[in-house]
Amino acid sequence: MSILTYHFRNHSHKSPSSDPPQPRPTPSRELTATGSEPDVPLEVRLLSMEKPLTVLRVSLHHPTPGLATFANVPQRLQHDTSPLLVGRGPDAHLRLELPHLSRRHLSLEPYLEKGGTLLTFNLKALSRKSCVWVNGLTLRFLEQVPLSTISRVAFSGIQMVVHIEGGTSLEAFVCCFHLSPSPLIDRPQAEETDEWEGVPQERPPPAPGQQAPGHLGFLHGPGPSQPSPGRATETQLQREPPDSALRQPLWSPRASLD
Amino acid sequence: MSGFEDADTEETVTCLQMTVYHPGYQRSGIFQSIRFFNREKLSSSEVVKFGRNSNTCHYTFQDKQVSRVQFSLQLFKKFGSSVLSFEIKNMSKRTNLIVDNKELGYLNKMDLPYKCMVRFGDYQFLIEKEDGESLEFFEIQFTLSTTPLLQENNWLPEPIPECGGYSSSSTQNNSPIEMGENEW
Repeated sequence: MSILTYHFRNHSHKSPSSDPPQPRPTPSRELTATGSEPDVPLEVRLLSMEKPLTVLRVSLHHPTPGLATFANVPQRLQHDTSPLLVGRGPDAHLRLELPHLSRRHLSLEPYLEKGGTLLTFNLKALSRKSCVWVNGLTLRFLEQVPLSTISRVAFSGIQMVVHIEGGTSLEAFVCCFHLSPSPLIDRPQAEETDEWEGVPQERPPPAPGQQAPGHLGFLHGPGPSQPSPGRATETQLQREPPDSALRQPLWSPRASLD
Repeated sequence: MSGFEDADTEETVTCLQMTVYHPGYQRSGIFQSIRFFNREKLSSSEVVKFGRNSNTCHYTFQDKQVSRVQFSLQLFKKFGSSVLSFEIKNMSKRTNLIVDNKELGYLNKMDLPYKCMVRFGDYQFLIEKEDGESLEFFEIQFTLSTTPLLQENNWLPEPIPECGGYSSSSTQNNSPIEMGENEW
């Protein structure tokens, strides 16, 4: 079950520098927000049963401007522990208006690792016709992969970066969406499939001071994404493979996924 | 032209055979919602839920001791594999789910072995997967057992001296199953 709070008003590429409107607190949830100044990070934490919810900060980008792809994307979306469906169809929790997107294109499923206390998320490809690229892996229908703290996802021309901020609540989680006017995932200049041989499936270590094109500006405004305590800022981006590589990956499946 | 000869080649379908037992199966009508021996066809992207709530669960048990959603099963495909695999996930906050000798807490999940025993409360499920070719659909078939499934011990790998009564004939797992630890 999803609870939509409100949608983006401007469906074109939203400037990351504009302040989002303040949300109205939902009756059964306490919304805590600190600071109204544009340069102060806006903390969005929904409390449920006095336990903070896990927050998925999701940045979205589509290269074609003016499309209504993200017309139905809310600024915040709270969801229970059932899989969150992303697609074109009416039963998708995150509805994206793109004709060649499948009605159910992918899902984000929360679960708990054995002995773990924070929700982990599994991304599963649900499209029979197209693949989903996740952190260097190409997922076909029914294939799935657990998301890392920061994950880069590409599907049907859409780029999505998901940053997980763990909370201890097991009742629900919340997605905070940001529309990026600039690409989130770097594209290769030449479409050479043999470039992907030997590419490590894990993301490379971040280069100090390197700024990614299309910075991850979250609801608190522009500027480099604020790293979570104890974690380095992810600044190096993996390249989205060319379409031919999406159909025929050249790297071996990750043995650790079994 | 014969319709049979021109028809598309049928694909075999992955089937999950679920044999279920509960000591009160006759008295309390807990399985009255289950259509035994019926192979139900489901979409491969479906998350199949089992529990007490008929609004959210595919298979319901008329038993207040069963959680509204007790556990779920869903298909996935392993990388490099042509067959479908199942994942089982405990959806109950109150009761742990035991899969063979592994205990799953709330929201824990694991790959379902080809043949395994799943338990919660007094319920016992012997689940066996039959592989199929189709990626679009799978089937579930329920069978009712009138005798406890745990006594059918010819699929456990090795003897368990502390509890006794088990013999080894399978390589499914080699750890003892502890009985009586959980609150039933």
